[in-house]
Amino acid sequence: MTSFSAGLKRSLAIALAGVSMFSVTAASAGEITVWAWDPNFNGATMNKAAEIYSAANPDVTVTVVDFAKADLETKLQAQLASGTTDGLPDIVLIEDYGAQKYLQSFPGAFEPLSGAVDLSGFAPYKVELATLNGQGYSLPFDSGVTGMFYRSDILADAGYTAADLEGITWSRLIEIGTDVKEKTGQILMPIDPNDAGIFRIMMQSAGSWYFDADGNPTIADNPVFKAALKTYQDLIASGITKPVAGWTEYTGSFTSGDTLATVTGVWMVGTIKANPDQSGQWGIAPIPALDGVEGATNASNLGGSSWYVMSSAPNKAEAIDFLKTVWGEDADFYQEILVNQGALGSLMVAREGEAYSASDEFFGGAPVWQNFSTWLGQIPSVNYGIFTNEADAAVVAQIPALTSGGNIDEIAAAVDAQVRQQIQ
Amino acid sequence: MGVGVAQSGLARKEQVSGWLFVMPALVLLGVFMIYPILWSLWMSFQVGRGMAFSFGGFANIMRLTQDPVFLRALTNTLTFLAIQVPIMLVLALLFASALNDSKLWGRSWFRTAIFLPCVTSLVAYSVVFRSMFAQDGIMNQMLMGLSIIDAPIPWLADPFWAKVVIISAITWRWTGYNMIFYLAAMQNIDRSIYEAAKIDGVPAWARFWYITIPMLKPVILFTTVISTIGTLQLFDEVNLITQGGPSDSTLTLSLYIYNLSFRFMPSFGYAATVSYVIVVLVGILTFIQFLAARDRRA
Repeated sequence: MTSFSAGLKRSLAIALAGVSMFSVTAASAGEITVWAWDPNFNGATMNKAAEIYSAANPDVTVTVVDFAKADLETKLQAQLASGTTDGLPDIVLIEDYGAQKYLQSFPGAFEPLSGAVDLSGFAPYKVELATLNGQGYSLPFDSGVTGMFYRSDILADAGYTAADLEGITWSRLIEIGTDVKEKTGQILMPIDPNDAGIFRIMMQSAGSWYFDADGNPTIADNPVFKAALKTYQDLIASGITKPVAGWTEYTGSFTSGDTLATVTGVWMVGTIKANPDQSGQWGIAPIPALDGVEGATNASNLGGSSWYVMSSAPNKAEAIDFLKTVWGEDADFYQEILVNQGALGSLMVAREGEAYSASDEFFGGAPVWQNFSTWLGQIPSVNYGIFTNEADAAVVAQIPALTSGGNIDEIAAAVDAQVRQQIQ
Repeated sequence: MGVGVAQSGLARKEQVSGWLFVMPALVLLGVFMIYPILWSLWMSFQVGRGMAFSFGGFANIMRLTQDPVFLRALTNTLTFLAIQVPIMLVLALLFASALNDSKLWGRSWFRTAIFLPCVTSLVAYSVVFRSMFAQDGIMNQMLMGLSIIDAPIPWLADPFWAKVVIISAITWRWTGYNMIFYLAAMQNIDRSIYEAAKIDGVPAWARFWYITIPMLKPVILFTTVISTIGTLQLFDEVNLITQGGPSDSTLTLSLYIYNLSFRFMPSFGYAATVSYVIVVLVGILTFIQFLAARDRRA
């Protein structure tokens, strides 16, 4: 043959070898890919579930891919929008605020689970938020019931006990924080000016939300929202908060003792307990209630997520069976992840397990899971709708104006205007 | 009939084979560049959420005028443009002028060091900048150690300082790139012009201002246009270092398009409209720059 055709044959062979290498990287049977954020919490619980399942089904392996939450959401949305299903996982973790957004924007992308899994055993509010057209799409995972995590040793130095933090309002907390700062010089809480989570906590604690049940914005004339804005303004003005940027700085702030408390969801237990030398120095109190608002409670929710199965999953049947067997029925599994990660699952029969009534010496021997379960029952129920990200962005955009002492009514009107713009 | 008949068979064959050679590139260009551009133009007239869109006429353009977030993104983008591009180009000119001196010790080392940021990975350097400007990052430690400030600056948590971080990051990365263009052009300026000027007693700054810069005009125009286009499309740094925050103070048009498509409830039509705003802006600014640099016939 001529040198030309020999060269051609060689380059063709190399090209074929290259193409075959692509196909080898495709998922092999028996391997379930899971996308999740927070390796200390979600990743850890999924790995524990994988351990239990693989013991009974040795030919199945579960791989958890870790992302930052915002990255996972944008990656999932980008890929679903493009229509290609190559590279999508079998199971994906989605936060409850965005459940309806994904289900409604991308019909057919998620596999309904109500046929294979008995969803009646789960807390109804969790099942409802992932139900579309009568079909349930989620394996409900954790509740984001909120608590105030605080360094009990530092507060004790300033003369405050756990009883002083029970059933208080935000203004009382600001008083306590100011007093602690005077006596010990310690700052109370880190606040990320790019994160609107604290507003969501305050709104839901009084039974309100950015939208009503029909999806109309309820922002400009919402007394709860204005009370939340005022509380935030007072918090910043009192000098008991410290600005942080991003997740790592935020969690680093209170785990290192730089600040001494944070109001967040129960899922923060995993991160706090990742410092075993601080055992016995932490306490958990109910969150403060909004001042001057009807229906204000000391209970709220931040986050909470569920597992979803993609319709395009290469190992769909195994993924559904895995979720059903471990997550859907195994009450002992829920005891373990409760103690180790603070994962307050939504499987109702698991609530009767012994771990839920045990006390935790990391948190000073208090019956923390009992407390969280009690608060869980008190969370006012709200309909999140599909525009939570837009509402968050609108609130965050006004935070500099709020921090520098702006007029509350004007700020609420500005947030309302932006949200109305974005949801058309 | 005219020219067609006068063409010999060979000339015709050359025409055809010329087109055949160009055809694969043209087809690829058409499919991957022209077609998406036309499609996005069509998309900019569609309204609707997610995949459910319908024709909306000029609704998206009306929405632009009333959208506070779009105005914020536009202001930020133009601010970055007005501040960062001149600083970067002036710095690049100064560096190139300094490095043009063949007697300078360590010339090639300086040249490499200033150019190296351009070839670093975009994501890697953004992450490093993010950690450098953290509350307890090396920047604050250094400034406090030198007693220039006595409390740490909240670089990424303050709207003003976040812009400073972004401008510093972009300038650090792209100054070397523009400097190389200027250096190359300066090598082509005849040395005898400078000698004549020196003999005539022209001081160094005047040599720079009256000889170097006018002779570099085409290159300066080129780098200004390229830098303008690049800064108007700014996305990577603002997405990786500040995520458009705090409170949209570093939100640029490209990042807003990304949010509209992938973070919020998707509005692909409106996102396409915002991208055409960038196109229009680039067109206007480029036209102005060409106009400013044209040779004026006396």
